[in-house]
Amino acid sequence: MKCNDRVFGLLMLVLAVAYGWGATQFPEPFGGGEAIGPETFPILLAVVLALSSLYLIVKPDSGSAWPPMRTGLELLIAVVVLIVYVLLLQPLGFIITTTLAVGTLCWRMGTAPIRAYITGLIAGIVVYFLFTIGLDLSLPLGVLSVLEGS
Amino acid sequence: METLGYLIDGFSVALAPHNLMFALIGAFLGTLIGALPGLGPANGVAILIPLAFTLGLPPETALIMLTSVYAGAMYGGRISSILLNIPGDEPAMMTCLDGYPMAQKGKAAEALAISAIASFMGSLIATIGLILLAPLLAKFALTFGPAEYFALFVLAFATLGGITGKNPVKTILAAAIGLMIATVGIDNTGTQRYTFGVLELYEGVDFIIAIVGLFAISELLFFIEARAGSGGASVMVNKLKLSWKDIGSIFPTTLRGGVLGFISGVLPGAGASLGSFISYTLEKKVLGKKGDFGEGDPRGVAAPEAGNNGASSGALVPMLTLGVPGSGTTAVLLALLISMNITPGPMMFTQNADIVWGVIAALLVGNFLLLLLNIPLVGMFVKLLSVPPKYLLPIVTMVAFVGIYSISNSAFDLYFMVAFGVAGYILRKLEIPLVPIILGLLLGPEMEKNLGHALTVSNGDWSVLWGSGLSITLWALAIIGLVLPVVVGPVLRRRMRAAQENVG
Repeated sequence: MKCNDRVFGLLMLVLAVAYGWGATQFPEPFGGGEAIGPETFPILLAVVLALSSLYLIVKPDSGSAWPPMRTGLELLIAVVVLIVYVLLLQPLGFIITTTLAVGTLCWRMGTAPIRAYITGLIAGIVVYFLFTIGLDLSLPLGVLSVLEGS
Repeated sequence: METLGYLIDGFSVALAPHNLMFALIGAFLGTLIGALPGLGPANGVAILIPLAFTLGLPPETALIMLTSVYAGAMYGGRISSILLNIPGDEPAMMTCLDGYPMAQKGKAAEALAISAIASFMGSLIATIGLILLAPLLAKFALTFGPAEYFALFVLAFATLGGITGKNPVKTILAAAIGLMIATVGIDNTGTQRYTFGVLELYEGVDFIIAIVGLFAISELLFFIEARAGSGGASVMVNKLKLSWKDIGSIFPTTLRGGVLGFISGVLPGAGASLGSFISYTLEKKVLGKKGDFGEGDPRGVAAPEAGNNGASSGALVPMLTLGVPGSGTTAVLLALLISMNITPGPMMFTQNADIVWGVIAALLVGNFLLLLLNIPLVGMFVKLLSVPPKYLLPIVTMVAFVGIYSISNSAFDLYFMVAFGVAGYILRKLEIPLVPIILGLLLGPEMEKNLGHALTVSNGDWSVLWGSGLSITLWALAIIGLVLPVVVGPVLRRRMRAAQENVG
């Protein structure tokens, strides 16, 4: 799998060039003309990164294999779960989103679905009360806040 | 004698009831996290950092708690090594050699108890070493100018891969990436750098978010990939039968191991892997045919454990005195210090003496707590070990999320954390080490500041960076640190593996 390192090296080389070019575009600081400006250190870093990525392109290690499609899909699901979790945290509230997120992750990691979501629910409730009552921190209650009023 | 006075003050900090309580909580959680197969101490401390913030702890309490987590994780790591033959991190590899055979012979409880005692001795010796050495080094470090500091930072990166590190170029590359992330934000001249007009980036990238993302979330992804969700088989532990004679027989071993471990912990780049390896090898040489190493000799458990824990306490010396961590875990501790507005380094010993000595005292107290916790409670930890990661890991990840969320209340930070998690997964796949990235993020601002100071004094003459004897020495060490692993590393790694295979 030598191409891993080659591709990564190439990407980093592009990054180094873009980053170095970006540094030359900084506006001169007010009163300028100092020995070292805001661009000095970034340019130094760009050179270091460019040189090491060139080395990686020329002499790549044989890296580890990427996971097969199926596992890749599982990983993608996990990442999507995390993103959706953040997205729904405010509107739905902590307990419901945590139930869904922990449940889905547990389930995808091999727990039976019902047990997985029960684990999620328990974790959500316990962590919620631990944080709000025990530690006095506010977590969004979301749609469940109707219960609070009663 | 001055030191003794500070230490007594330190104890009064560490023994304050609430600090003691958090030390106990930290030791307990640390052992738990360390015991999870595959989860190393750096990840453990990283996951618990948000917790320390959400608790709203004062700096010394937070540090005391996380130092106890650190010490606890080192203790916990051996549980999975001994019972399951799965080392939590590289240094724990050597403990498997004799620990697992002992467990197979039905002496698991003895092996665990011995390793607890050896860990305690190793840490104790190294902490005493730390108390003696740290103030001296801090005094010496006061003579450093900006150029020396710049060279020192380079040295820290160069030796971070450690003697067992694989490809030094990848370490450099990772360091450069970390430093580049650190330049994002408004710099001290007021120039916006790489913010792309995004408001959240003006203050730069929060390294706590980066650390939790890189370590904790990538760990979750790795578990999913490995389909290790079900965890290992549950293990039974026999009833403990350990006499004072048994403890006496490992005593000299733990002394030797602790001292060797401390030395390799202090030395840049040597670290805990080398500490446990050298202690084990030396013990085998010293005792020779008198021991049955590799087949379950108690001293074969004691030596690497003492070395390993000695090294992890020793690694705190460069972190506290120079502000330059020697290992991943100490880098994470450094992150905590910086985010609490404490600048590590020689000045800390005068400006924040209560914190430094409180932490050192906490290390001693924490070790006593751990010894007390570990021998009677080992059965409980073993039970927890059989909770499959498929339940534990999702919950731990959510706690990390909530921790970050309740600090910042910003969804942007959480997305950023997920992005760091994915990046961490990809980088680990490519065998790019993550620790230099973290260190780059942490040290970036200081490094740039020192470079700026040095060049301003010399009017832009770059040769000032290697203008003094001290800085030349540091540069030379940095080069050695980069080149030596290429020469010695493969040999060492082969030997460690060979030792492993002889047993397995």
